[in-house]
Amino acid sequence: MDMKVAKKKLALKEKYRLLTRDLGWEPTYQNKDEIYPYTKYEGIRIHDWDKWEDPFRLTMDSYWKYQAEKERKFYAIIDAHAQNNGHLHITDARYLSALKIFLQAISPGEYAAGKGFARMGREFPGVGTQVACQMQAIDEIRHAQTQIHALSNYNKFYNGFHAFADARDRMWYCTVPRSFFDDAVSAGPFEFMIAIGFSFEYVLTNLLFVPFMSGAAYNGDMATVTFGFSAQSDEARHMTLGLECIKFMLEQDPANLPIVQGWIDKWFWRGFRVLGLVSTMMDYMLPKRVMSWREAWNIYGIENGTALFRDLARYGIRAPAGWDDAEKAIDHMSHQFMLGLYQWSFGTALHSWIPSDDDMAWLAKKYPDTFDKYYRPRWEHIKKLKAAGTQFANYGLAKLCQTCQLPIVFTEPDDPTRSAQREGEYKGEKYHFCSDGCQHIFENEPEKYIQAWLPMPQLFQDPIGGDLAAWMDWVGLRNGKDNGDFDGSEDQKNFDAWRAMATSNQ
Amino acid sequence: MSYELTIEPLGQTIEIEDGQTILDAALRAGIYLPHACCHGLCATCKVQVIDGEIEHGEASSFALMDGERDEQKCLACCATAQSDLVIEAEIDEDPDAENLPVRDFAGVVSRIETLTPTIKGVWIKLDDPAGMRFQAGQYVNLVLPKGIGSRAFSVASPPSASGEIELNIRIVPGGPGTTYVHETLQLGERLGISGPYGRFFVKKSADLPVIFMAGGSGLSSPRSMILDLLAEGFDKQITLVYGQRHLGELYYHEEFLSLAELHPNFTYVPALSHEPEDSGWSGFRGFVHDAAKAHFDNDFRGNKAYLCGPPLMIEACIATLMQGRLFERDIYTEKFISAADAQQVRSPLFRAL
Repeated sequence: MDMKVAKKKLALKEKYRLLTRDLGWEPTYQNKDEIYPYTKYEGIRIHDWDKWEDPFRLTMDSYWKYQAEKERKFYAIIDAHAQNNGHLHITDARYLSALKIFLQAISPGEYAAGKGFARMGREFPGVGTQVACQMQAIDEIRHAQTQIHALSNYNKFYNGFHAFADARDRMWYCTVPRSFFDDAVSAGPFEFMIAIGFSFEYVLTNLLFVPFMSGAAYNGDMATVTFGFSAQSDEARHMTLGLECIKFMLEQDPANLPIVQGWIDKWFWRGFRVLGLVSTMMDYMLPKRVMSWREAWNIYGIENGTALFRDLARYGIRAPAGWDDAEKAIDHMSHQFMLGLYQWSFGTALHSWIPSDDDMAWLAKKYPDTFDKYYRPRWEHIKKLKAAGTQFANYGLAKLCQTCQLPIVFTEPDDPTRSAQREGEYKGEKYHFCSDGCQHIFENEPEKYIQAWLPMPQLFQDPIGGDLAAWMDWVGLRNGKDNGDFDGSEDQKNFDAWRAMATSNQ
Repeated sequence: MSYELTIEPLGQTIEIEDGQTILDAALRAGIYLPHACCHGLCATCKVQVIDGEIEHGEASSFALMDGERDEQKCLACCATAQSDLVIEAEIDEDPDAENLPVRDFAGVVSRIETLTPTIKGVWIKLDDPAGMRFQAGQYVNLVLPKGIGSRAFSVASPPSASGEIELNIRIVPGGPGTTYVHETLQLGERLGISGPYGRFFVKKSADLPVIFMAGGSGLSSPRSMILDLLAEGFDKQITLVYGQRHLGELYYHEEFLSLAELHPNFTYVPALSHEPEDSGWSGFRGFVHDAAKAHFDNDFRGNKAYLCGPPLMIEACIATLMQGRLFERDIYTEKFISAADAQQVRSPLFRAL
């Protein structure tokens, strides 16, 4: 039985095509290579730009409509958070260190990604790509703004939030994400898309956002949960753009495969190093923990990453070169980072602390093979020093990795008792690295990385001249307020006092 | 309790269970809807409800705006049906889909042949003299007695022989359905079938040469498709790469040899992976994907490829095709999505492969 059907409606794809047709005209008095000068020098061969499928069919007018509503909702919740003293609803003031890491290290990265996508929207030929990059550029700026606005409520009451913009350029641990984004933005357009669109937005984003946002929810911070939801609603477009780009490159020409593989190797390792701080946040800084870094890695790293690289294997792509070394680092990195933060806590715009007995019991349970064996004895030793009034601080300057800019605090992948250090020479100068991964990245493009600005050598230059107090002024760090041990800090005392006022009649 | 879910612009109607999400119902019916996070946050799966009542479920208010809720939009990954539904989704219309209605048929077992030690051919003559209209490549659900329930099998005969449906059924050790067919089913027995189902058919409108890659008991659809193409005078190159372990399992070998002699545009490439060394087999030795790679000299550009067979074979063939420059838009596989498959973690890199 054949039924009579009403005339079919236009499919959404067809509607979009009609609405956007003629936006991508063929130039007649300028040559395309001159209009788009950066699409060839990376060696990526493209034969047919029309094969780039519009990854997300959204027109600008509906884009503004959606984003405007997201903003209205977001600011309504942020206002409520401010009026209800939402800052007193968090579990306790140790949670603030997680927020400070986010504001100092991640939000400026959103802004940098916005700059990068604005550039790519201009440099890629093809209307679909241009529009998608433009929208993502605006999204990223919106993310940076909403994050800064949400966290400005905390800045009214607590230390360490006020100087994030200066810290972004000057603070030693903030240059780690900064160098990541600068490296991406100063690369060619295709490499940028692998770095941010693929590696960061797709492979690593869940390891960043899920722990932070669930962490916020577990610890009573509605403002952060809200900017997380608001940002995640843009993620579909971002992820699709990154995935579409990698497929496009791999399908256009077989000669693109080794170039793309090289970028996947590089940006996986760069991203893995940047995200290392998340491990410390999850394992040490959340008063109410969501899951361990190891558990998060199993879900978002191994399970999702394995599925992705199994699919990419069809093109001949293999898992990133640093994948095995990353896996070997998982049970160690949060402890090594936290020990690093604690010994240099005089120089951080956030507080760190010695884990309590309860915390250590939890860590031992979550890291049965490593914590009690390698890290508990060091914390116990540090605890003893503190009890004796001789708190341990490392006033020596950390040796930094020339590529990722992290202090060299990690151990050998196959021997957690030996510090991992690599060095190489280029044009008569010696350079240091934290890992094989970072050394390989340097050796591939030495002329790029020898230009890196490193925060430690800066200490001996103007305007600091080796003076710690001058350095603190320069990075916007107020000694005794923003830095040091959480135990006895202003943040700790104020939070406890204000919460007592809010919950009792004292 | 279940409802009917009609998906525009395909015009296809499927069942949706109480509490089942629209996305889940569509994927299980072989209809791909764009999706990513699967828990209401990313809005990739936003669809328009044209008719019917839905429950929004866990859709985030940032992913699905108030204005959109007023306009009857919903997130397919969270929304469940409260009535029969009509939705419009962002799916490409398929000019080759005939969207034939699914119907129930009664028939009688008219022939049973042993094709290999593990595969039986079963012919069912339908009571309805008009037979079942279907597209070559589609499948039917065979209703088995004694409470066994129904099982899906691709039709092995061409649509021109619509009055007598041929199914090739491999015995699954311990499987009650296929065991019944192999050990109990008798000539003259009455059975019910429903169909046609599935979106696996030749994209004739593309007008490109076609490659079929078949292995195990996956020959049914390709055979129906090839017979259909040859009968209607398709003039582009047709290549069948067909593999089994050894010659005794290579059912319909003779038929394809003579078809290849008869039709200059049909090439037959048989491959045996475990044939004894001394058997005198002069064809390709190895797996289907390797046979295809050798036959096409690792260059599959300009073809459409249709894959049918066990999951490992399909996976190897997809990788071979892609590394030989044929990509998702030109590769089609027959997907029977079991509950286990649906739960397997896959990346969103590919839409349907």
